[in-house]
Amino acid sequence: MTTRRELVARLAAICGAPNVVWRREDLLVYEYDGTIERKQPYAVVFPADASETAAVVRLCNELGMPVTPRGAGTGLSGGSVPTRRGVVIGTSRMRRILEIDPANRIAVVEPGLPNIQLSEAAAAHGLFYAPDPSSQKACTIGGNVAENAGGPHCLALGVTQNHVLGLEVVTAGGDITWLGGRVPDAFGYDLRGAFIGSEGTLGIVTKVVCRLVPLPASVVTLLAIFDTVQEASATVSAIIAAGMIPAAMEMMDRLTLQAAEAGLRCGYPADAGAVLLLELDGLPEVVGPQAASARAECLERGATEVREARSAGERELLWKGRKGAIGALGWIAPNYYILDGVVPRSKLVDVMASVSAISDAHGLQCANVFHAGDGNLHPLILFDERVPGAKDRVLAAGAEIMRACVEAGGSLSGEHGIGYEKQRFMPWLYSETDLEHMGRIRAVFGNEGDFNPCKLLPAGTGCGEMAHQEQALRAAGPDAYV
Amino acid sequence: MASSPWPLPADAPSAADLSRCVHCGLCINACPTFAVTGLEAESPRGRIALARAVDEGVIPLTAAVQSHWDLCLQCRACEAVCPSGVAYGRIIEHVKAQVAAAPAKDAAPRRLRRFLLRNVVARPRVLAAVVAPARWWAGSLPRRALRKSGAKWLPSRLAAMEAQLPRHPGRPLRAGDSLPVPGEASTEAVLFTGCVMGELFGGVHRATASVLARRGVRAIAVEGQGCCGALHAHDGDLAFARDLARRNIDALPGDDPIIVNSAGCGAAMKEYGQLLHADPRYADRAAAFAARVRDFSEFVAALDTPAAGHFPARVAYQDACHLAHAQRIREQPRALLRAIAGCDLVETPGADLCCGAAGIYSLVEPGMSAALRTRKADAFRDSAPDVIVTANPGCQMQYEAAVREAGIDARVMHLAEALDEAERRAPRA
Ligand SMILES: Cc1cc2nc3c(=O)[nH]c(=O)nc-3n(C[C@H](O)[C@H](O)[C@H](O)COP(=O)(O)OP(=O)(O)OC[C@H]3O[C@@H](n4cnc5c(N)ncnc54)[C@H](O)[C@@H]3O)c2cc1C
Ligand code: SF4
Ligand code: SF4
Repeated sequence: MTTRRELVARLAAICGAPNVVWRREDLLVYEYDGTIERKQPYAVVFPADASETAAVVRLCNELGMPVTPRGAGTGLSGGSVPTRRGVVIGTSRMRRILEIDPANRIAVVEPGLPNIQLSEAAAAHGLFYAPDPSSQKACTIGGNVAENAGGPHCLALGVTQNHVLGLEVVTAGGDITWLGGRVPDAFGYDLRGAFIGSEGTLGIVTKVVCRLVPLPASVVTLLAIFDTVQEASATVSAIIAAGMIPAAMEMMDRLTLQAAEAGLRCGYPADAGAVLLLELDGLPEVVGPQAASARAECLERGATEVREARSAGERELLWKGRKGAIGALGWIAPNYYILDGVVPRSKLVDVMASVSAISDAHGLQCANVFHAGDGNLHPLILFDERVPGAKDRVLAAGAEIMRACVEAGGSLSGEHGIGYEKQRFMPWLYSETDLEHMGRIRAVFGNEGDFNPCKLLPAGTGCGEMAHQEQALRAAGPDAYV
Repeated sequence: MASSPWPLPADAPSAADLSRCVHCGLCINACPTFAVTGLEAESPRGRIALARAVDEGVIPLTAAVQSHWDLCLQCRACEAVCPSGVAYGRIIEHVKAQVAAAPAKDAAPRRLRRFLLRNVVARPRVLAAVVAPARWWAGSLPRRALRKSGAKWLPSRLAAMEAQLPRHPGRPLRAGDSLPVPGEASTEAVLFTGCVMGELFGGVHRATASVLARRGVRAIAVEGQGCCGALHAHDGDLAFARDLARRNIDALPGDDPIIVNSAGCGAAMKEYGQLLHADPRYADRAAAFAARVRDFSEFVAALDTPAAGHFPARVAYQDACHLAHAQRIREQPRALLRAIAGCDLVETPGADLCCGAAGIYSLVEPGMSAALRTRKADAFRDSAPDVIVTANPGCQMQYEAAVREAGIDARVMHLAEALDEAERRAPRA
């Protein structure tokens, strides 16, 4: 048994006192991420590098203290919320770009680097980092690795898995090791691949070797306006069936458009039923004709208008609306519960209908904004957590929507991860044997159950009743046992 | 009704404003204090979460909680990028009003600050008397000599203030003074003279009037106007800020546009409607007054007169927070500069990141202020501009210090001064 005071002192001995957070009000701001889950850690610590990180992990293992890695806390599945309290390891002191190697088109970065800063730095060499989550101004590369993040431009180029060559990690057991390297296709087991998307349950990433790709020679951005979500969804399939792979193909429904327009004034038609935001890129002689046929497909399927961005500024504005759309829902309701289902593109229309039927049945408002090209839905259920019982209704509706996705032959997460919120749905998709093998991977990296507990895999006891433990928390002064 | 957790319930941050934040985190990297510390409690999302926790009775309003709000620059960069439309500026102003009313460890300096803001800054004659020696010193020979010698002769806080003084403060220009009128004027506008602005930056006012006059607009420094109250509101003294707002509304009747060349004052005055919304006698007049307020660059750009002038220099424009983030004016100043022959406008990294001046912030939080100034100094050293142009007196002062820190020889000018100088060189046809 150890007291909080001792814990803090030992963390401070490793990382320096200013890099340990332990006061009540300072911990309060580490109880959340982008979701509605909440739980406060006993302490938050900010190591400077891999060796300090490893020392912290070993200390926590020695004390039997749960560990939760945290990037920017923009996660949408509760991944960085310390479900069983313990210690949160933040990466905000590790946010440098260590190297950009334009000849080999790679960059080596620290995990706390905000995603967008890599593309900004690489632009000087005519390169960029392809995965562009809508949260890219804030979310970290380390968090992206953990969630195998995607983004609008991953339709043609692929998600984080396709753009990370190597990782330096501190394993859950406290070892420092490299997975993969500076070149693709390293021989041996692809542990790099296993680590990407592991949601901080196998260890902490401390360095990332990222692949950079050339900036496209030309870009056409189209905004197709529809009266109904059905027409827009049908168009998505038609465009892919016609053999095109747009760089991005994003859908927003009426509610989302209204919020985005209110918050970001990006020139969206707030009275439309749905829009598709389409981007085509490549050599001008290819892009021009492609854009023309994409436009024709849209019009044929009922688009009332197809606008084209005429300048970089107009393009930026169209994307600003899409990238801010989720946050902009704050204009409509104080909370949202975001889902992240994937369905086969051919089932988009049906599943969208189920989503609206389910939310209607629960008397809830639901907005939709999603990566249509990938069939990656993001229904956002809107509510006010201060209304008694609201959260329970939302969670119930969310579960039904996820069920509908799975029944349509889809899956539980496109890019936000399973985290805390969806681990209980895993048995819908995986057999006990499947899950058991996944569990064994954890053991390989030294996770005996306390490393980001209650995430990703269905957990045993001790992981329930998160948000409701304020009382116990208030009682825990510095000398309480933790 | 349950009793409020806030000491000044009438000015408490509203639950509606607080719950607007969906903690998406998209604002955190726009925040200068988060950029420096990497701590969530020094980020906008963290500061809102703390306010909400106090509002909901989860934590008490302790000194430690207050310190996180105190470190906020009120630059409102977070507000400008928030997709959810969280009114951070309004939240923090109300939170600061609570902090000011709460019992505190540092009650004595707080009281002193409030006293000085009320009785010196807001009183033109007292302010003039206090600033006079500083103005004399700023342009004096002994100062230049001491600077050359590089001697460290003042304690650090005073030295920081000293370094901010402009190198060539013009004659003061106060409400009621007459302004240059070179040419025929077809319309009139009010020139807002402000507090420190008029004392230390009279030249900026004169330049403003000249630029306007060349465009057929006669600027008048109407008598009776005074401090806008922004410094008081940011320090949590909303009651006094309201008094000052009412005084200006009374002093400036009519419907002529009110031209403001200090971004902080302009932002505050554009929000008079909000500040006085609960005052039945003034609410409507305040809203009408606010609608007349124009930033200098906004007003001049809208006149859309053909480009003129000559300004052969490498110019780094630095956004004033309360222009770019609070008033959302970014393009107009750049466009005006770009249109001048010879002007080579360069974008330096972090041009829209707060310089750390932030009203009286550089005196209250010297450590963070200096860290932000150093970022500017580094950017200046790398891009080596001849001239640094901005749109707010506090920023101008901070850039004087940053230029010195960078060890480069750049001039620091207000946008109005740069335009005026360019147009004097090659007068409009
Ligand atoms: C408005 C909004 C829009 C979004 N849009 C998208 C989108 O388009 N595509 C998308 O994929 N996601 C999106 N997200 C989700 C989120 O931004 C991503 O999941 C992102 O990758 C999380 O990064 P983070 O730094 O915020 O990590 P956090 O939220 O702090 O953590 C996420 C997970 O990563 C783990 N982790 C963090 N750092 C490390 C590390 N160094 N080593 C190991 N594990 C670590 C944590 O333990 C946790 O499990 C969006 C979120 C918001 C709020
Ligand atoms: S202030 Fe706005 S951008 Fe920042 S976390 Fe809240 S909702 Fe998101
Ligand atoms: S006003 Fe400026 S310093 Fe304060 S939270 Fe917002 S961005 Fe940060």
